[in-house]
Amino acid sequence: MSKHLKIALVDDDIPNTEVLRDFLIRNGYNHVDKFHDGESFLESLDRFDERAVVLDFDLSGGGDLNGLEVLEAIKERSPQTHVIFFSGQDSLEVAVESLKNGADDYIVKSNAAFALVKTSLDKVYDLQVLRTNEKRNQRISWALALGWMITLVGVALYVAN
Amino acid sequence: MEIIDRLSAGDPEKKKYYLRLFLDTLEPELGHLKSCDVTADQEPIRSILHKLKSQVQTIGAADAHALMASQEQSIKEGGRIDQAGLDKTCELLSALIQNLQDQL
Repeated sequence: MSKHLKIALVDDDIPNTEVLRDFLIRNGYNHVDKFHDGESFLESLDRFDERAVVLDFDLSGGGDLNGLEVLEAIKERSPQTHVIFFSGQDSLEVAVESLKNGADDYIVKSNAAFALVKTSLDKVYDLQVLRTNEKRNQRISWALALGWMITLVGVALYVAN
Repeated sequence: MEIIDRLSAGDPEKKKYYLRLFLDTLEPELGHLKSCDVTADQEPIRSILHKLKSQVQTIGAADAHALMASQEQSIKEGGRIDQAGLDKTCELLSALIQNLQDQL
């Protein structure tokens, strides 16, 4: 099943990013972009309106910004975007800092990491589907209420005449 | 290597593509690691170890990953690795690169 969730992978680790991208595509996510530094990702943020970002902490191989700085910029400019930290840093300090600053999850790179990223993205996707359904149900409820009002006004006018 | 095998799904060309991707990083970084001076600031060594440890893990080199992770942690905590430690890492990486090249 194809899952419509726009995902950006921001990591200076080129081969692992490629493998993760292919892994996610294989698992139904058909819109996955790659960025190897925080700067180029932030440039594209307004244009592409990414819904979920998988973000590495140590981006020193790509640019000057680290993952926490990129996270801060994302939350300022696009607070609705979900951010999953994906880091080789098994550091409680970085994990706490990222979650405090609005990251949805913190995953340490390990053998099971790709599957954990997918699980985390599945939760974001489910939430997105839920919100879309809620909005649709709200629209249906309003349309029904409006229909009833029009009918009642029509009946009232008919009775009055 | 399990993830690469799974993604390649029996397609040898696809597997070679992934192996080349890893080799493109591992080969130059091994050169950088070999040229590092253990008596100088070890931050460049830590940075290379950090970069490569996730990659060797994806390829399935558990022994190299464990050694690199412990060396990176040691430098991060203010310790130092000696020449023998660096040589051991380079040796494991060279063997890994050879193994990948043999599969091309």
